Amino acid sequence: MSEQNQNIVLETKELTIGYSSKKEESIIASNINFDLHKGELIGLVGANGIGKSTLLRTLTKVQPALNGEVLIHSKPIESYNAIDLAKELSLVLTEVVAAKNLTVFELVALGRQPYTNWVGTLSNNDITIINIALTQTNLTDLKHKKCFELSDGQLQKVMIARALAQDTALIILDEPTTHLDMYHKAYVLKLLQKLAKETNKTILFSSHEIDLAIQLCDKMIVMSNDNIVSDTPKNLIKQGAFNDLFPKDLIVFDENTGAFRVKK
Amino acid sequence: MVKVKSYKLSFIALILLLIVFFFVNISLGSVSIPIKEILNSLLGASTNESWQYIIQDYRLPKAITAILVGSGLGISGLLMQTLFKNPLAGPFVLGITSGASLGVAVVIMGSSLFGGVLASFLISEWSIVIAASLGSFLVLLSVLIVSSKVRDTMAILIIGLMFGSITSAVVSVLSYFSSAEELQQYIFWGFGSLGDLQWKELKVFSIIYIIGILFSILSIKGLNTLLLGENYAKSLGLNIKQSRLIIIFATSLLAGTITAFAGPIAFIGLAVPHLTRQIFNTSNHKILLPAVFLFGAILMLICDSIAQLPNTDYTLPINAITSLIGAPVVVWLLVRKRKMVF
Amino acid sequence: MKYKILILSLFIVVFSCKKDTGITRELPPINTKKSNIAYAEGFKVTKNSNFSVLEISNPWPDSEQTFKYVIINKIEAAKTTFMRDEYDGIIVIPVEKIVVTSTTHIPALELLNVENTLVGFPGSDYISSEKTRQRIDKGLVRELGKNEGINTEVLLELNPDVVVGFGIDGKSKSLNTIKKANIPVIYNGDWIEKSPLAKAEWIKFFGLLFEKEQQADSIFNHIEKNYLEAKKLASKATSKPTVLSGAMHKDVWYLPNGESPEAQFLKDANTNYLWSDTSGKGSLSLSFETVFEKAKNADLWLSPSYYTSMEALEKANSHYTKFDAFKNKNIFSFSATTGETGGVLYYEIGVARPDLVLKDIIKICHPELLEDYETFFFKPLE
Repeated sequence: MSEQNQNIVLETKELTIGYSSKKEESIIASNINFDLHKGELIGLVGANGIGKSTLLRTLTKVQPALNGEVLIHSKPIESYNAIDLAKELSLVLTEVVAAKNLTVFELVALGRQPYTNWVGTLSNNDITIINIALTQTNLTDLKHKKCFELSDGQLQKVMIARALAQDTALIILDEPTTHLDMYHKAYVLKLLQKLAKETNKTILFSSHEIDLAIQLCDKMIVMSNDNIVSDTPKNLIKQGAFNDLFPKDLIVFDENTGAFRVKK
Repeated sequence: MVKVKSYKLSFIALILLLIVFFFVNISLGSVSIPIKEILNSLLGASTNESWQYIIQDYRLPKAITAILVGSGLGISGLLMQTLFKNPLAGPFVLGITSGASLGVAVVIMGSSLFGGVLASFLISEWSIVIAASLGSFLVLLSVLIVSSKVRDTMAILIIGLMFGSITSAVVSVLSYFSSAEELQQYIFWGFGSLGDLQWKELKVFSIIYIIGILFSILSIKGLNTLLLGENYAKSLGLNIKQSRLIIIFATSLLAGTITAFAGPIAFIGLAVPHLTRQIFNTSNHKILLPAVFLFGAILMLICDSIAQLPNTDYTLPINAITSLIGAPVVVWLLVRKRKMVF
Repeated sequence: MKYKILILSLFIVVFSCKKDTGITRELPPINTKKSNIAYAEGFKVTKNSNFSVLEISNPWPDSEQTFKYVIINKIEAAKTTFMRDEYDGIIVIPVEKIVVTSTTHIPALELLNVENTLVGFPGSDYISSEKTRQRIDKGLVRELGKNEGINTEVLLELNPDVVVGFGIDGKSKSLNTIKKANIPVIYNGDWIEKSPLAKAEWIKFFGLLFEKEQQADSIFNHIEKNYLEAKKLASKATSKPTVLSGAMHKDVWYLPNGESPEAQFLKDANTNYLWSDTSGKGSLSLSFETVFEKAKNADLWLSPSYYTSMEALEKANSHYTKFDAFKNKNIFSFSATTGETGGVLYYEIGVARPDLVLKDIIKICHPELLEDYETFFFKPLE
């Protein structure tokens, strides 16, 4: 049990997420319980508007939980200050980076900010870590190119490399495959799988590519109207967790192929 | 690693240029003084008393002022452009010039409205400087109070502009009731002037300037992090509010003190960061900050040398020159490179 | 048919010509006498049998218009009509209610003893002349606001017989409104005149308005005589001191150009004004360096702008202390000589009494020539 506990990087306990204003409180989802282990690739899936982004925002301390706890290394995230949290958790967001004039190296180097001194000088150690991140994402040749010269797929890899350079136990990505073609969707997710295995980091991503997630993830978190379940893809299929994800008039989940099919 | 070396060369070139233009600026003026005499005057060994006085007590402080003003405005412009992610931002978007103008207008033109107390205050040689500083400080304070309550950085920009409108309105009313001399004095303050500072004023100016520069250096890391956007910056552990405060404080110290001592100088704060970015082709503030410092100083020295209309008896207001020279240069650079580096 | 129409139209033409019986048109001038104006170039008076024509030719810099006014006595006015469009105004004299707009107009009124006719003035705080100040204190002179923005309503209410205005460009909206209300407005160009005597000669302009031309003439002759005598006295001086003038606004030093009235005074007082060979309109604007190099060793410094004390001068710019004139305390200014309410006397009485100004300057530059004289406007800067 304790060995398993040592492996747990992030866990939620009776977490309730939602929005609260002075007038009212609106609960998006409650009784969320799951844990994420070292070296795991976890996919978070659900229909549009079900609350995936809200969940991610709550896990990353961008918005407060309404109830319950989020623990990283068994400590509640409220107890972490900004810098310490930055050393445990890094993000890859959907927003377009404004400053495209940075070189690939410079952008990835920004991932080292939580570790550098007051003026941001990179130590030799920092440079090594940046270069490793570049190698892991196959970007070494593009190191000195300006970001505005890259394709979408390459840019996505740069953002991942940056998160790697931040050297955190946990990386969270919000819809990392959104504007990529099929090949690159698979490429990025395969890359994430490889990174999770090689670096032993915990990588959680939200996505609409349910079929790809089923094929590549160690664990999945499925959000539906009734509840939130977390398990291996195999178990989830057995439990029929994907059957009720979407309205059944158009598409239906095929257990054998692990994908959705359009109804004829 | 190749990149770093080329920056070193560029910096050495810039520093050399700065030294050269410093001497050019001191050598040029309405009265033509031969080079040998200039060197003698600097060393205090000149035989011509008025020339020595002109060099030591008029041109030298003017050149130093030019360096402080050019570099200070350039750096504050850079800070504002990065903080607000807006290429049109300059050091005065927070309402600093409006505040300073208000302070100066009250001192110069308000004496008829406010009576004798103000008139006796006017005799002090520091009155304009203090009034300008107080004015910009008050406006800045209002903007800061609002900024601490507001999450959106863009809102601060708009609030700064709004305060600008309010102060302009008050200045208009004051102008309406003032005499021709008072109006003339106020307008002349608005032209900006580098040649008006004596050594003791320059000392005070330098001290505040250095504090401003120190704060701007402190803000380098935050500025670089903010290049990714505020969400990423937060995830990297940056305290956005604190960073914002340091950036705004540095800008207000630099731009505020420059406006207080030299009047509102147009265009430099807006153009120098762009020029530097185009030529150095980087967004890394560790490189940009010193580069903007040097470029701003050099550009200001050049503008002042031109404004002196050397060897004629006349001079032009510095603001006219900064705009006339600066604007076409930026346009040319952008057209040449075709893509704006920002 | 056509023939009849022609005759009919001829008839009508002839008849309409005849309609103006009993009213004297403006006849070609008979008995014209041009009144003698020796120095002033800005106004001219042509006398006809029963009225005069006043021509103002240069009321503001670069003006292209000449203004013509009919000056006609009350009695004659009842008998005469003029084509409104031919003249810029018809003024019935003697004027009983007048509004003037510059302090330079006030001494003329007082010298002619007609200060009681003043009913309104913009910026009455600037007036120093005692007789008028007393009237102001008694509320007999209405405050009209600023010259650039005269309170039109109050002016209309006052309904003066004439308004003597002055302007940079004649575009004053309120004065145009006044003109439309049939109150004649005359632009006074005394401040454009290039010599001190020309400026003072405008007292004759006022003399015309109050039917006191002879008095005006004799007052001016007196002033002229004093002036020329002083000038002659000065020409006998044995030394010719060098003179600096003006002061800096920010980076620019403003001083009078060589053709200005201020420079004329210095020339007539037999001094060496260091920029006497310059010309042009308006003040010279020079850089500090130029002025410093040329005038560092000047003997005297006259009129350092509006500064009223050595301390103020030093605080404004410590460069001033390097001039010899500063070190030797040889700076003289008229700015500290003011009336009760702060108006500078030089700008008021100085224009009407150039003889006193000249004597002041002679006393400063050649004290041995006027031992018993005490300066009136210029005082040493303390």
